[in-house]
Amino acid sequence: MKSHNTVLIALFAALIVVLSLIPPIPLPGIPVPITLQTLGAMLAGAMLGPVRGALACLLYLGLAAIGLPVLPGGRGGLGAFLGPTGGFLVGMVVGALVIGWLARMLAARATQDWAKLGGYVVACVVGGILVVYAFGVPWLASVTKMGLPKAAVAVAVFLPGDLIKAVIAAWVASRVERVWPMLGR
Amino acid sequence: MIEPLYVAGRSALHRLPAWLKLAALVAAGAGLFVLRDPRWLGAAFAAAALLVWSTGVSAAAVWRQVRGLLWVLLAVGVFTGVFQGWMEALAVVLRVGAMVGLALAVTLATRTSDLIAVCERALMPLERIGLVDAGKVALALALALRFVPEIWRNFHEIREAQAARGLGAHPVALIVPLIVLTLKRAQEVAEAIDARSL
Repeated sequence: MKSHNTVLIALFAALIVVLSLIPPIPLPGIPVPITLQTLGAMLAGAMLGPVRGALACLLYLGLAAIGLPVLPGGRGGLGAFLGPTGGFLVGMVVGALVIGWLARMLAARATQDWAKLGGYVVACVVGGILVVYAFGVPWLASVTKMGLPKAAVAVAVFLPGDLIKAVIAAWVASRVERVWPMLGR
Repeated sequence: MIEPLYVAGRSALHRLPAWLKLAALVAAGAGLFVLRDPRWLGAAFAAAALLVWSTGVSAAAVWRQVRGLLWVLLAVGVFTGVFQGWMEALAVVLRVGAMVGLALAVTLATRTSDLIAVCERALMPLERIGLVDAGKVALALALALRFVPEIWRNFHEIREAQAARGLGAHPVALIVPLIVLTLKRAQEVAEAIDARSL
């Protein structure tokens, strides 16, 4: 099974590409339509664990950096990293690492289904939102020189969509875990 | 289904070695950060736009790349304008525009294979100390590219199957089978690779 990890990382990177290229879904009550790119990153961490999840995100970003149009809306290339939202891309890697680690700490030890789901939700909110924003907001603030508090206010519009995505990712992860257990592997 | 953004051509930018373009891009990114005068930033932005144009890219392709950024830039510009004055807003928009433009020009004028070659060379010191296995990285890159169309097809099959049963586009009901399929496929591919002892 020595190739198993490499193949899992590659196929999850491909899955993040597919989720990024699906047209954005408008949700009632949220001003910006949500893309599923961050959902893919959260799922990579939750399903594959810290190291493989982070590597899957890194591979996905590598595909974007070498000029393939794999970012939402068919964007790609190095410009996406130097732009104001580049920090959110880099944050995905560390976010997946934290999600994977927390999911293995919380969800793997839970015995009840609801506790498992709760563990995944905590992992996705902390890793997929707190950590990703911790990279994205200072990056936005320094590229645009707008200052941290204002940058934080500016990205607040994305918070409801990201919270919904975190819950969806946790729900998906707990459902997949029942059919195809990944936590111990 | 995923074509690189590279545009074939013979411009001056095309002919420069890839590592030089990347190094220049990093240097330009740092340089733009310390510039504050909108006139210099305007000149940098014009130079970036000229470089993008010199690659011979179609307007539609450029539009697809910058479409999303326009809204972010507009929001940032208005935000900065209201709180820090309109000169500062102009400087911010020109700086970001110039950086993204330069990076886009490098992406358009550099072959994907050349960028991979630069990455490989950059990874060499890491491989020597045993942190990275270049063969595995290459395998992962190739597999990811190979499986994007297949996972894309799986996604549409699952959606059609559910629509045929009268189910709407429910994200959880769509993504759970997609992930299980992907995990299953990963196991099959890994077994196939190991069976051939590659």
